[in-house]
Amino acid sequence: MSQPVTTNPFIIMLINMTVVFLVLIALGLVIRLIHVLDPTVKKEKAPEIAPAPVEEAAPVPELPNSYDGVEPEIVAVIAAAVASMGGGNLKVRAVHPVEREGWKQSGRLGR
Amino acid sequence: MELINAFSVSLQAVWHDSGFFNFTMGNAIMILVGLVLLYLAIVKEFEPLLLGPIAFGCVLANFPNTGFMEDPGLMQAIHYGIANEIFPPLIFLGIGAMTDFGPLIARPSTLLLGAAAQIGVFVALVGAMLLGFNVQEAGAIGIIGGADGPTAIYLTIQMAPHLLGAIAVAAYSYMSLVPLIQPPVMKLLTTQKEREVVMEQLRPVTRFERLCFPIVSAILISLLLPPIASLLGMLMLGNIFRESGVMDRLSDTAQNSLCNIVTIFLATGTGLTMTAESFLVPQTLLIILLGLIAFIAGTAGGVIFGKIMCRVSGWKINPLIGSAGVSAVPMAARVSQVVGMKAKPGNYLLMHAMGPNVAGVIGTAVAAGTMLAMLK
Repeated sequence: MSQPVTTNPFIIMLINMTVVFLVLIALGLVIRLIHVLDPTVKKEKAPEIAPAPVEEAAPVPELPNSYDGVEPEIVAVIAAAVASMGGGNLKVRAVHPVEREGWKQSGRLGR
Repeated sequence: MELINAFSVSLQAVWHDSGFFNFTMGNAIMILVGLVLLYLAIVKEFEPLLLGPIAFGCVLANFPNTGFMEDPGLMQAIHYGIANEIFPPLIFLGIGAMTDFGPLIARPSTLLLGAAAQIGVFVALVGAMLLGFNVQEAGAIGIIGGADGPTAIYLTIQMAPHLLGAIAVAAYSYMSLVPLIQPPVMKLLTTQKEREVVMEQLRPVTRFERLCFPIVSAILISLLLPPIASLLGMLMLGNIFRESGVMDRLSDTAQNSLCNIVTIFLATGTGLTMTAESFLVPQTLLIILLGLIAFIAGTAGGVIFGKIMCRVSGWKINPLIGSAGVSAVPMAARVSQVVGMKAKPGNYLLMHAMGPNVAGVIGTAVAAGTMLAMLK
């Protein structure tokens, strides 16, 4: 074994930590460089955007026929509430406003 | 009469050669230590895959007159694999095939956390030197703080082979105790507001980046630090097996069968170094104490640097991921996740913590490389 450069523990600590930081910073720069030079990045981005509107478009046409006079947002809220109760495969087919007042209505809500 | 004489001489020879005749109190204590470790591995499940063979290797090493280290045979072959640094790089091949560098590539700034957590290595080094260990022994003891078994064995064999048993046992024991050691340090050093920081989702990483990273980093680090070229080279080769997509069979072998086989040899061989003469010395207790200090200091270093990064990034980095910089993959990252979830349920830090976690593996290897270059 050859003689070490220094035996002062604090100097060893300082030098080694500096080297560790420098090497890992260099590695970080290499990662950034690879990212910048990546020739495949544009090709992969294109198909990601394309399928998104297709999925959203499907349920829209049904709305005016099935839910008479109720705002689509309200329908969404009601559907979400039903689903959150553990609905699983349930489908909300129709939403109708119930025009009843008085004791019967408040009795139903209270239950 | 002659028959009785020959009989008694032969019996005496058998008795004198037997383990019972040569059995010392030290052997008895070490067999007991081995059995306690075996209990911890099997019943308490402290890193059982490693501690199990280490423990039984320790029991085997303390049978007198076996000639394990003198006569050619399996035990000597296993020892050869450790003494000549064959097994740690092979384990790294498997680790490379298991490691996903994606979170690190997506957020390279987490490399700094992996570097900061290496402070534990050097705090223990300073402590060891102040306690009277020489510089090579202190370097080997310090590497316990890297929380990386193969690197600890790799460095210890080259700098202080007589301390291998104590250092390996301390490193693996503390690695299994990471969920107990780290959380109090993490909570002590962070505020509730810091622990609640929600981090942005990581960007997707392309196959090109995943493939280029191991190749370029192997070239860069091997040129900078040749003493760890075999360790880092095998790590990155394993990762190329994984990421190439065309070497699935090699990747599968590296991360399963080969890694398991080498683990058996490495761990058993480490246990075989735990003889009474080398382990039952006051230094062992100091090493175990310094190992704990190293783990605590490494965790603290990572978290404190995480706090700095939190401020610099405008509260976009949760300091809790800093503790994962001590390696101990993936246990340390899981600890960040658990502590983060306790502070704010639904805050998933696991993927973010994997960045500093794998950076810690590279950081520990680099720390070992600089120590080998400077102190050996």
